[in-house]
Amino acid sequence: MTIALGMVLAIVTITVIVYPFFGKKRYRLVSDSFIRKEKLRAERLQIYRKINDVRSDFISGDLTEKDYLSQRNQLRLAAAQILEQETSFTLTDSQIKDELEKEISMLRQRTNQPPEGGDLS
Amino acid sequence: MADLGAMALLLGLVVSCYAAAASVLGEKMRIAELIVSARRSIYMTALCAAVASGTLIFAFAENDFSIEYVANHSNTLMDRAFVWVAFYAGNEGSLLYILLILTVISSISIWVAPTRLERSMPWTIAILAVIQLFYFAVLTLSASPFELMENVPEDGRGINPLLTHPGMFSHPPLLMGGLIAITVPFAFVSGALIAGNFGDDWVDVARVSAIIAWGVLGIGMLLGAWWAYTILGWGGYWAWDPIENVALMPWLVMTAFIHSIMVQKRRGMFRMWNVALLNIAFVLAQLGMFINRGGPVVSVHSFAASTLGMIFLSFMLASLVFAFALFLWRMPALKSDRNMESFMSREASFLVNNFLFLSVMAITLWGVLFPLFSDFARDVSVTVSAPYFDRANGPVLLGIVMMMGVGPLLPWRKASARSLKQWFIWPTAALLLIITFLVIAGIQRPVAIFAFGVVGFVAASILEEWWRGSYARHRNGDNWALAWWRLVNGNRPRHGGYIVHISILMIGLGIIGTNFYQQRTDGAISLGESLVIDNYRIQYIDRGDDSRPDRVAQWAEISIYKIEPSDYAYEFDLALSQGSNGFTLEDSTRRKNDKLIDTIKPWHGFYLDFNMASVRSGIRSTFIEDLYVIPRDFLNDGRVSLAVSINPLAWWLWASGPLFIIGTMIALWPQPAVETRPAKKNTKQSPAES
Repeated sequence: MTIALGMVLAIVTITVIVYPFFGKKRYRLVSDSFIRKEKLRAERLQIYRKINDVRSDFISGDLTEKDYLSQRNQLRLAAAQILEQETSFTLTDSQIKDELEKEISMLRQRTNQPPEGGDLS
Repeated sequence: MADLGAMALLLGLVVSCYAAAASVLGEKMRIAELIVSARRSIYMTALCAAVASGTLIFAFAENDFSIEYVANHSNTLMDRAFVWVAFYAGNEGSLLYILLILTVISSISIWVAPTRLERSMPWTIAILAVIQLFYFAVLTLSASPFELMENVPEDGRGINPLLTHPGMFSHPPLLMGGLIAITVPFAFVSGALIAGNFGDDWVDVARVSAIIAWGVLGIGMLLGAWWAYTILGWGGYWAWDPIENVALMPWLVMTAFIHSIMVQKRRGMFRMWNVALLNIAFVLAQLGMFINRGGPVVSVHSFAASTLGMIFLSFMLASLVFAFALFLWRMPALKSDRNMESFMSREASFLVNNFLFLSVMAITLWGVLFPLFSDFARDVSVTVSAPYFDRANGPVLLGIVMMMGVGPLLPWRKASARSLKQWFIWPTAALLLIITFLVIAGIQRPVAIFAFGVVGFVAASILEEWWRGSYARHRNGDNWALAWWRLVNGNRPRHGGYIVHISILMIGLGIIGTNFYQQRTDGAISLGESLVIDNYRIQYIDRGDDSRPDRVAQWAEISIYKIEPSDYAYEFDLALSQGSNGFTLEDSTRRKNDKLIDTIKPWHGFYLDFNMASVRSGIRSTFIEDLYVIPRDFLNDGRVSLAVSINPLAWWLWASGPLFIIGTMIALWPQPAVETRPAKKNTKQSPAES
């Protein structure tokens, strides 16, 4: 009985681990542009939190109005710049082409496919 | 049943090995499937560890004494409620428990990690997998809890009697869990450094996982102190024992880290310093494992004695080399682009507080390691005991408490002389008032009086912060409770931290009270006789046996009376002249004004199989003081030998626990990242501008 349970555990474990290689779903590395976008978003949210903190400090009397407005404006400017980068963060055609080429060549290397005519699906 | 557990461990060993290799290869060769597979492997190691742990717990529940570990740590008489405790009562089981926690928290942290850390994730997975691999290897090759007995006994040896206490359900698991949980922030930060991610992307993950590890470890230590207070029967709660120290040291460093990470979060500074702190905390956690698992330092915590010392020493040294080699390699890229603008700023106060924490850590580390050096260099065995730690650490700890009050009063960047005067006036007044009041009240011990003053200073600084913030919101129309809650909610890490600070002040009160003002007396008294100490008379009323198959035990019923010390002035003077705080009293000579306030029933037992005595103290606890009665021995002539102490303010030590948890939870609760419209503020009333 215990041996059988052990075998079940081993089979389940191996299945889960090797599934990415044999399952229908195709995996891709998260692109640099996506990570960059995520980082920008996180940075922007972080700045929003800082604005809240600064505001809280001002209300509590830890900051003078002059310091508060100065810091808040700096942070808002930084947030706006990041937001601008985020919204304008689209790849140019040539960049998209380069990214695709990179992905395709990696895929070919792994599947030993010839340089032309490989099926990506 | 043992086969299943052993198979699960072996499978976990192979899978964690694969996870480390697949993760690194996947990253190097840029193969997404390999990285996904490595990630899934980490989840599967958690399944393997869970199956192994479940198997062992099931074996305890079923009294499967064919497994040596089960036979050594339980028997048929053991209350089934203690199956969970028996699981980690010994070396092998506690290692399996640590592995279970490590694999589960690794899986959770990888599962919830933000996408922006995707580039460094393979390295993080590899580091976690290697650490898991170590524990799987130790459990499979050197300390398997599934070893079988050649001759299966009819009954087991039983659980260590010291562990049959409610505190044991949570103290060891929290302590071990907290220590191993330090692995998570370490792995994330190290992974980021290897991947060349030198920004602040890892700050939130490191902060949250570090606070969880720190909070769990802190509560684990507090519960351990409570357990020692109620069961070990020596009247104390912290003995600077090596095992206590190796849990305290990483906690101190993590405390420094969770403060300085706020500076990195807010001001983008201290990046290098924070990485160094995490490295130190992780290596100290490994030192804790080494000392606990057959390390050469003598400790009263003998339940985990083992011969794995060299293995854990090697792993600790490898961790040290890896962590600091990586740090030195990446150090130039970690430099902050901002400098401290003034030493009168909050970031500077955090830095001072960090150095103080590291000082206590260094003093404690020296005390732990000195016996080893002495033994090695001079061939002389020495023991570093509590007085060294008290004298060396006491002033620094007081400095830390003081900084808890100073830091919050200082603004970020720099403070003006005017604002310093404005914010420090009330806390300083509180300090002076408390000291003056205590001196006038005739309280002795200048150091303790000053320490009480410092506690008052910090409490006043926190209350002043809350008052200022709440008052500003109250003026905008919120009622006081809502105003305070909005203040706290507006900056949860900061105000959650203040709540934790209050819990630390409560611990401080307990430490000052019990260390400076404890009174003790002892004596052997017959039935009907009393021991008198301070304003208590304790009368020995009855005795009885409570022997069970695994132990012989006797209890004493003791009545506690509140007395008027002036009624016993002559006896007290006589006792004091003999250098004692208390005296014995025959039943016939007691005064009529004494008022019965409580009855306690402490007991003293002896566990034959373990050749071990165990006591349950009788404690009457109030928020002013504890009356603590230890039955040392039941003498053949019918007398009972009692050690009695009055521990002022001990209640505050234990009452701090819930507040510590609440504060930590608030500090951890995710902060909404939405910019809100600033409230209209009456600038004329602004304290900052007045």
